[in-house]
This record gives sequence, C-alpha cells and structure tokens, in this order.
Amino acid sequence: MNRKVVLTGFGCVSGLGIGLAETWRSIAAGESAIRRLLREAPTEHPARRMDGPAAWVDQQACRAALAGEDLRALGQIDPLSLHALAAGVEAVNGAGLRGHPALDRRTAIVMGCGSGGNATMDQAFERLYARDLPKVHPQTIPSSMISAPASHLAMLLGVHGPTFVISSACASSAHALGEAMHMIRSGRVDVALAGGSEACLTLGSWVAWNSVGVMADDTCRPFSRDRKGMVLGEGAAVVVLESEAHAAARGARILGELAGYGAASDAADMTAPDSAGIETAIRAAHEDAAVLPDEPALISTHGTGTRLNDPAEAAAIRAVYGSALPRHTAIATKSAHGHLIGATAALEFVIGMEALSRGAAPPVLGHLGTDPECDLPLALGPTPIDHRVLVSNSFAFGGLNAVLIGRLSA
Amino acid sequence: MTVSTEAILGIIAEESGLDPAALRPDATFEQLDIGSLDVASTLFAIEDKLGVVIDPDKLDRNATISDFVGLVMRLA
Repeated sequence: MNRKVVLTGFGCVSGLGIGLAETWRSIAAGESAIRRLLREAPTEHPARRMDGPAAWVDQQACRAALAGEDLRALGQIDPLSLHALAAGVEAVNGAGLRGHPALDRRTAIVMGCGSGGNATMDQAFERLYARDLPKVHPQTIPSSMISAPASHLAMLLGVHGPTFVISSACASSAHALGEAMHMIRSGRVDVALAGGSEACLTLGSWVAWNSVGVMADDTCRPFSRDRKGMVLGEGAAVVVLESEAHAAARGARILGELAGYGAASDAADMTAPDSAGIETAIRAAHEDAAVLPDEPALISTHGTGTRLNDPAEAAAIRAVYGSALPRHTAIATKSAHGHLIGATAALEFVIGMEALSRGAAPPVLGHLGTDPECDLPLALGPTPIDHRVLVSNSFAFGGLNAVLIGRLSA
Repeated sequence: MTVSTEAILGIIAEESGLDPAALRPDATFEQLDIGSLDVASTLFAIEDKLGVVIDPDKLDRNATISDFVGLVMRLA
C-alpha cells in the first residue's frame, strides 16, 4: 500500500510575523525579527529586568488571527497555546480540512514543545515568592501543562485521534514531524497535524537561559567568526501531513512530501553537541528518504550561532556530503527568527519548504566573515536555488538529534 | 477594587469567557454553561481582587447570577 506522506498545509507565527505569507515576505527580504527586548522588573529589584536581544511574537496580532474562533471552552490560554492555535488554524484551513470528517477519527495531533506555559508559571510563582500570597489561579496547571497546545488544538478542531506532545528540547518539533510521519506510514492515521510551539520569553526562562552561558548579547550570527551565541525567539509552526492516497482522494493541493526522518542520541553530554551523533542522524534521514547525499539540497542548518554547535554541525555536514558539499546551499534562519526552542524545527521546515517552492534561499544574517571551522556553502544574500530537496537539521541539549528531509513533489 | 455589581459581573465575564451582556440576573451558572473550573476561577478572582472569600460549598449549580452577586455583596 502506498503510504507516502505529503504536505497539504502550513501555518506559523514568530517574530517574523503571523502566518506564512508575512513570515516569508520578511525573511526573503533579509529582515530580522531580533531586536532589543527591554522589560522593566516587576519589583524594585533591577536585576530582575529583561534586557537583551530576542525575537518575540506580537500577541495582539496573534489573538486577532484567531478572531471568530470560539475559544471559550479552552479556558485560560497561555501564549504557548495561543501560538499553536494560530499556526494550527492556518495550516488546517489552508489544507481545506476544516470540518472534514477525517479530522474526527483518522487524524493525529503531535506537537513538540521544549517547555510548558512559562508565563502562567511565572505569574503563579511571582504571587507565591514575591508577593507572599497563598493561592494561585485554579487554571495554572491546565493552562501551563506542556501538553496543553495539543489538547487545545484537538478541542478547537474536533480531533479525536491520538493527540500528544513530544518533548526533546530544541529538537522537539523535528521529532514530532518525524514520528507523525511514521504514524501515517504505518496506517494508524490518514492525517497528522504536527509541529511545535514555544513561549519562553518570560523572566524565569530568560534568567535561566542566560545562566547557561550560551546567549549572545548582540545578535545571532550562525557559522560566523566572532559569533557570541544564540538568541531566544518564540512562536509556533504546524504542518498538515497526509497520506498521499488520502490527499489525492479529496483533491488536496500537495505542497511537497515529508520523505525522510533520522533520529539519534549522542548519549554523551547534556549541553555539548557531538558531531558523530549529528552525522548519524543526517545519514539516517537520507537513507530513510532514499535521497543520496550528492543530490543538490537546501540544508536548513540548526545553526544556533553558539561557539560549540556551529563547528560540530559543520564537521558533521562536511563528513556526510564530502566533495558534493558545494552542490548544496546552507541556510540558518535562526539569524532572522531567533531560536524557538521546541517550535524551531517545525518553523525551519516550513520556511525551508517554502524556499524550495519559491526557488529562493533566505539569507543568513549577521555574518561577519568565515570561521574556518564552520566553512559551509552559506547563502549570505538572497540566493536563487533550483533544489528539490530540503534537509532540515535540529539538535537539542542532551544530545537529541533529529533530521527531516522534505521534497517537492514531482 | 471596590465591591460593586459591575465589578462582580466583570470578574464572572473574564473568568468564564462570556460576554458581559450574556450575564442575565436570572440565568443560573448551569444555564450559562459555566463549568466547575470556571466557578473555581471566579471565586479565586473574587477573593483576589475584591477580598471576599466564598466557600465553594455555598454555591450550587442552580444559583443565579443575581444570587451570586447578592452573596458577594453580603460577605463584603
């Protein structure tokens, strides 16, 4: 039986905009959503203010995108779920699946999230620890659960099939897309809404991320000399995956194919990446997709701009592609939308597929010059491409690697 | 926040997600489809913003909006 998995809907929100059209317009024009975030401290302690580069979602615009949707039954909605809902509704509406009978029983929802509803938890803890209040809002747990975005999407869209969240830090939504692809291949479902969501631009998360020592104080400069680290973003992206037979039977517009997925664990270190694990995941994805490494591809790198990620990823890419590397084009879109943690892989996959279909690679921003350890065929300006294959890399703290291969349909 | 009918109705609307115009005095919580978690959220906000503590056992699903406003005003 043909269980090819095709793509029939995309949706995304990030600092670049609400919806894929706005996102693409911004990123193709070389615009960056990274700006100085300055939020004064909620108390008299100046150390508690947030001040540094970040790429945040316009929450008001995100809510406006959901105007007309009946969200009442969903209860309190953390930005984590708000982002997922906006991206999910765009993807499902774009796929022409809204209200389709398949959503009822033959659809899965698999979302990837790195953390739960940080804003809700921050508000609750601020009451306890800063204001010495004894109670927190009764919906603190349901609205901040890491699984809330999946539940909220299922409630709004009437999905009764398998619904859950996968968490693997910065690779969460790559694992979500890949595992959802296998659910369709195995025949468990015909359709899957797969993606990721994150909303971590809150004081607690901000201070914790800065404590790791991997944050840039200027901007995100992937694979560049003098790069200083990563920049936090937030948002969500959702992809409608569908068996080819199901999509064809309903006359759906096919946007491409999720052709392969490779996953591997470094089993080595909680923060430092390991080239061997990365290489294993990339090779596994190629094998799964039956795409040879010498076929010209758009490589959407993980490209965080940290001291350790970029050379480890570049070494793995060089090992896999060898002398064929110059045929490929590498992009690093975190330089435009920041690092969306659990949502980043899905957003990068959507942008990568859009780049293939439009024949244009969005430029790597903030590049100051080549770091010999990170020498890759980067698109440093808007670059025309005719590749039909996307390789989308995602690697997480704790050594969790997941690589997706997308392909334009013949 | 001062305890007033308007403030109480505002809190019910915010916590239940209902349009304030839907909160007719004679409508019960059940008729308005205000579930148990929304009731708990409303009581939390009444205590938090108006300083009025209400024992959840004192409320039943057949209480009307008018009953609830009266209860809060009496306890204020």
